[in-house]
Amino acid sequence: MNERRSRIFDGVLGDNAVLSGLMVISPVIICGNTVKNAEALIYAFSAITFLSVLISSFVPKKLPYTIKVIIYAIISSIVYMPVKTAAEKFYPDSITRIGIYFPLLAVNSLIILQSEARFFKMKKPRMIASLTFYIIGFDAVMLLTAFIRELLAYGTIRSKMADVNTLISGLGEPFGGFIFLGLMCGAYRKIRSMAKKEDNTGSDLNVSGK
Amino acid sequence: MYLVNDIIAFLAANLILSQALGTSTLFVAADSRRKLVGTACCITIFTTIGSAAAYFINKLLPSEYKNFTLLLYVLTIGLLYIGLLSAVYFITPERFEKIRKYIHLSAFNCAVIGTLFTMEQKSANDPSLMKLGEYVKFGLEAGLGFITAALILTAAFRKLNSSKVPSSFRGGPAILIYLGIISMAVYSLK
Repeated sequence: MNERRSRIFDGVLGDNAVLSGLMVISPVIICGNTVKNAEALIYAFSAITFLSVLISSFVPKKLPYTIKVIIYAIISSIVYMPVKTAAEKFYPDSITRIGIYFPLLAVNSLIILQSEARFFKMKKPRMIASLTFYIIGFDAVMLLTAFIRELLAYGTIRSKMADVNTLISGLGEPFGGFIFLGLMCGAYRKIRSMAKKEDNTGSDLNVSGK
Repeated sequence: MYLVNDIIAFLAANLILSQALGTSTLFVAADSRRKLVGTACCITIFTTIGSAAAYFINKLLPSEYKNFTLLLYVLTIGLLYIGLLSAVYFITPERFEKIRKYIHLSAFNCAVIGTLFTMEQKSANDPSLMKLGEYVKFGLEAGLGFITAALILTAAFRKLNSSKVPSSFRGGPAILIYLGIISMAVYSLK
């Protein structure tokens, strides 16, 4: 039961889409340099991915793989249209800054590749729970990356001045995004392996205690 | 000197190094050199032919229906996807099983769709680029840029995955930092 539960939560910590799967990293690298951009991307990613995967789960499984992938992409590009219209009202400035990365969220690998390999093998309630945690995992990484990069690159938080003495302007650039995400992935892996070791030690102690 | 300038311009326009487009695909393909080069070649076909189709879409689609651009791009790439799989199946049926995985990986990703949107944005800013030749040239350049990035990655691939790299950074994280350093060098050329 615990293992089952941990698999559902995997999307946040155990198997994070960005840090572990290295999926959907282009928007994080390029647009994840301010919190305002991150908020708009989080809204778009969450809405497009959740609705697209949910609707795509009704596509007959018997269809050939190629046809199914094309249908998933068509569904997500249809979902993209109302999401973009709403985003233009809520985040007018961010949408301009995000530019081409907004429509690219509709062809992200979580919808196109992972839905078939992971989500559609589960029963609907479990799939929805797992998908939700994968989306939360992406949102958390996006927000954390944007917060740290904005603070250290521009000395601001949501465009408001923060008390930072030393600025690293390169962190706001694409190369800064690559390097920062690489360091975050490394730190994430280290923490995950340490947590796994602790878990194993704990379970060994329980076994010997019996 | 012109050649050096051209090489610098080509590197500076590289969509992976300057815009991180197709980085996720690069990681999926990075588990073997052959897969990486095969995927890069398929992506070049998709970006080149896709750009030609994007030209007609951008030219014919009225501005009030701009939100349909993504859907039309997806339909175009979908048709190209089926066409390419069929072509490989009929031309070299014995190699179909080997080649089709590269085509599956190359069809729908940020590198291909991102190229079409980048060209759309460029031609909107500079109407002189609104020519079929310019679109095809940009699509080909984007594909060659992906091949260049794949070659740069394959050069260090073994070292970035070796046991000398700390286990937490081995593979993906080391590749990201490596791409970041190359991207920094390209940024300085701009």
